[in-house]
Amino acid sequence: MADKAALPFYMRRAPEITGIAALVVGVFVFELMVRFGLVNRYIIPPPSDVLLAFERVIVEENILARCGETAFEMLVAGVSSVVVGVPIGAFLYRSALWRRALEDWVGALAAAPIVLAFPLFLVLFGRSPKTIIVMAFFHGLAPIILKTIEGLAGTRKVLVNVGRSLNMTSSQMFWKILFPSALPVIFTGIRLSWTFCLITVVGVEFLINLGGLGQLINDLAERYDLPGTYASICFVILVSVLFFIVLERIESWLQPAR
Amino acid sequence: MTSDSTIARPTAEPAMVIDDVVKRFGRGAEIVTAVDHVSFNVAQGEFVSVIGPSGCGKSTLFNIIGGLLGDYEGSVMIGDERISAPHPEVGMVFQEESTFPWRTVIENVAFPLELQGVAKSERMDRAHHFIDMVGLASFEKNYPSQLSGGMRQRVSIARTLVSQPKILLMDEPFAALDEQTRLLLGDKITQIQQQLNQTTLLITHNLTEAVQLSDRIVVMTYRPGKVKRIVNIDLPRPRTSDVVGSDAFGHYVAEIWNDLREEASRGMADSEAAASRRSAHG
Amino acid sequence: MAATGQITARPRPSVAPATGGAASARAAMMLRVACALVVFGVWEAVSRSGLFYGEVVPSLLSIAKAFGRLLVDPVFWKNLQVTALETIASLAIGAAAGVVTGIVLGANTFLMRAFEPYIYYLSPTPRIILFPVMIMWFGVGPTSKVALGALSAFFAVALSTAAGMRQIDKILIRVGHSFRATTWQMATKIYLPAMRIPILNGIRLGMGTAIITVLLAETKLSNQGLGYLIMQIYTRFDMPGLYALLIIVFIIAGACNALIGRLAKEQA
Repeated sequence: MADKAALPFYMRRAPEITGIAALVVGVFVFELMVRFGLVNRYIIPPPSDVLLAFERVIVEENILARCGETAFEMLVAGVSSVVVGVPIGAFLYRSALWRRALEDWVGALAAAPIVLAFPLFLVLFGRSPKTIIVMAFFHGLAPIILKTIEGLAGTRKVLVNVGRSLNMTSSQMFWKILFPSALPVIFTGIRLSWTFCLITVVGVEFLINLGGLGQLINDLAERYDLPGTYASICFVILVSVLFFIVLERIESWLQPAR
Repeated sequence: MTSDSTIARPTAEPAMVIDDVVKRFGRGAEIVTAVDHVSFNVAQGEFVSVIGPSGCGKSTLFNIIGGLLGDYEGSVMIGDERISAPHPEVGMVFQEESTFPWRTVIENVAFPLELQGVAKSERMDRAHHFIDMVGLASFEKNYPSQLSGGMRQRVSIARTLVSQPKILLMDEPFAALDEQTRLLLGDKITQIQQQLNQTTLLITHNLTEAVQLSDRIVVMTYRPGKVKRIVNIDLPRPRTSDVVGSDAFGHYVAEIWNDLREEASRGMADSEAAASRRSAHG
Repeated sequence: MAATGQITARPRPSVAPATGGAASARAAMMLRVACALVVFGVWEAVSRSGLFYGEVVPSLLSIAKAFGRLLVDPVFWKNLQVTALETIASLAIGAAAGVVTGIVLGANTFLMRAFEPYIYYLSPTPRIILFPVMIMWFGVGPTSKVALGALSAFFAVALSTAAGMRQIDKILIRVGHSFRATTWQMATKIYLPAMRIPILNGIRLGMGTAIITVLLAETKLSNQGLGYLIMQIYTRFDMPGLYALLIIVFIIAGACNALIGRLAKEQA
């Protein structure tokens, strides 16, 4: 390993550089293909146009307000699913009977294609951010419940025994041993849940043509603004990737070396 | 605090009386007697080890004395209290790594005091005292993950000592460590035990460890776990791990091994029989 | 690193099974039934109270009737067939591409480091937003749905396959080499059997997202398929029908998921 560190940067990072290079070359090839008429520019606009459209999308489309709207919906849904999900998970962990009865249902909720029910939520909550938030909330709830149960149940027996040997009350046991021990797993649940929330928020915004970033794509597509549509899609993907990376970072940062 | 832990000498007054303890598991034809009519005392300030092969009911005995296994026959008495739940005067150290990974060393050690509602500055002082005693003073702010296995086990020991239990109960605390670390930690334990005059009951399957540390050794039989013999270890105190090289030490080891070998081979034969039964069924 | 892409239908977490024998199983079952009854009861009460305007909360009976109507309606079956074909096609394409990509990335550390981060971080992005692009490329017909579904399935399968490839016990590979197995023998006797579970798991996850994506795309723009039917019923404001159809779709999705999940278990 020692001699590996001595390698120059471009040797150590060769794979990553190759990946980026492949991306750049791919974009360049598309550019040429469009320029030489090998690809219909009304299907795939030249990447340079898309790049230029970025500026337009950012400047003219009120992007900050849209990001804010999406972020707001996502945060309300995400925070409520934590606030509701963790106690439910803790309760199901504590009561073997309830857990046995309902854990499968929560699992089914996690796998259920809730987004598909958007017409139903439209009827229930109207064409408003409420619909989006409620749907994202339900989508984000299951992973938190499941991960809370998993985390609490995964507490090492010997730590519980330490608590018992110190005659801890059951509430001390929960707050001082079970909960801190489960926290890393709960954080994983939160990361998964918030990822779900963002996907749902953006997806539903796009589907019902309401609100922030999802609607932006829909808008531009309906205007047949090709470079704009591509640019906005790239923009939304970049934002969500950034969001995932930040969540991952927070998750690992919140866990002191274990 | 009824801390008389300063200079009291070993006296005839037993700190703990284990009287005719029986524990059975299962029911009907499947019944297994894990602990079978076990009796012995632990005197004030004495270091007693319970040794035996795997399957002699040592861990069951540990759980009973620690109060984690309340349902048993006979009695384990501390003063005139029969143990049926964890006793505040018994401090336990577990075999498995049991530090809290989300707390620093000092927060780990101060944990029992925190439960008792001791004020922060005082509990930090007291925690510091015991961390110093186990030789980890420069690691107070570290998390357990940054420490070696032996250091973590010392944190656990300090955490148990900090509430100044009358009896220190340890279940193979060094089982996961290598032999050298084990000997050195043994020195530390001896030193602390003499400094605090700490009544200690150690459960172990390690012969040299038991002889190195103990005043008396209770040898258990393989299933059902009975007391086979109680051996007094008359090695001089203060004692260090140097004692391992002495003739007397070798003599004790050989003597106890003589008893233990028979039990261990019964255990081995039993598990081999069980394995062949399993393969015949499968 | 838990793959963010594999969360859509993750198997039940490996929590220790709750203790207790047949008696507590019966108690749990009874509690389940009781919960269901309470939910139904509250639903029916709300429905009868007329607390919500119109038919937002239709009575259970009307939902059941709509359920029955749907099941005998040839329109439902025709649309189900469209969606099923689209999903199967998209899963076949996406899974094939995913398995190949996964094996390549799993076998080659250089390529893995070069390209896997893209797949890993793109996998949890909302796929449906690519739909406008798919329409431009493949038109408004079923092909654009298949393409979008294939794209969704691809990520899950590729990530799961690559992870499975890397998780093969190195000692098994060394054993294979020590017996001087040929490349073909290595592939069929060691890699494939060891990879079966992760690949099936990837396909299960991929299928989940493919179903959702295909249906969503159909709700957005199409003239056939269950997603289209959902929008039709929604436009007609036929609430019992909407509930019934959504329940059917959830059941189908759940059943497919369970089926492949079982397949993966049996092979274990």
